[in-house]
Amino acid sequence: MKELIEYIAKSIVDKPEEVVVIEVPAEDGVILKLQVAPEDTGKVIGKEGRIAKAMRTLLRVSAIRKGTRATLEIISDSSENDL
Amino acid sequence: MERVEISAKSEEEAVDIALAELGMSRSEVEVVVLKKGRGGLFGLGSEEVRVRVTPLELLSDEDVDVGGMAKGVLENLLDLTGITASVTLGMEGGEDQAVITLDIEGEDLGILIGRRGETLSSLQYLVNLIISRHLKSRVGVVVDVEGYRQRRYESLRLLARRMADQVRSTGRSVTLESMPASERRIIHIELRDSPYVITQSIGQGEGRKIAILSRDNEGQPL
Repeated sequence: MKELIEYIAKSIVDKPEEVVVIEVPAEDGVILKLQVAPEDTGKVIGKEGRIAKAMRTLLRVSAIRKGTRATLEIISDSSENDL
Repeated sequence: MERVEISAKSEEEAVDIALAELGMSRSEVEVVVLKKGRGGLFGLGSEEVRVRVTPLELLSDEDVDVGGMAKGVLENLLDLTGITASVTLGMEGGEDQAVITLDIEGEDLGILIGRRGETLSSLQYLVNLIISRHLKSRVGVVVDVEGYRQRRYESLRLLARRMADQVRSTGRSVTLESMPASERRIIHIELRDSPYVITQSIGQGEGRKIAILSRDNEGQPL
């Protein structure tokens, strides 16, 4: 699941070397925290959140295959707020 | 700036050397493996990997194997999602505007289509996004699961004709459930030449849907 998000993010940002995905255990599965270069944040969210939504859809399929749950959080570097 | 060919112990190493020589990043070049290497015993009999690295700006359209690239991206996505399936590359339409289609085949693929084709749409969207970023130009690759789209489009055409008949006989307009743009397009095209009804898209964003209305002789809604 981590590899899936890493692959997608690295394929669409300008600075793939700054893509970091951290897997954090949660109550009923895992939370994947995706961090990219500040100027790449928009590239992984997309217009009206479309890219983030597509990543979450595939992540859900991946989690179902593994019999678990996963949520994706995109970390905004500048504000530390989750989007 | 020109293309370079480099030999090294691994593909990764060869690409790194080439990128350093060109002063470019991985996303700005196309890499073709000319010779696969072979790891020998203690370096004996081993063969180096040879790659050709070409700056994207040097590639003409014919040089880029968009279909092969799209197939590779889709295979990676499926593999990382934990789906075992095979991808067949095909072309649809005439030579001038051939559309690249990727059909996924395998077992238990209902999960890949998802509710109202949502998962399939996401896959298609991501494949196109990744290829477009890579080539720095827009592409329109169609991703299908065992002909799901083909069947869906056929049932939409049937629905369109049935609803048009209903509008004609009752004189009351009909609004269909919301659909993505690609599906609305199918219905617009199907009823485009109808002498009795016209179609309109109404609503915003994901709630956008088609209304079928009676028309007068000039093609205006009644």
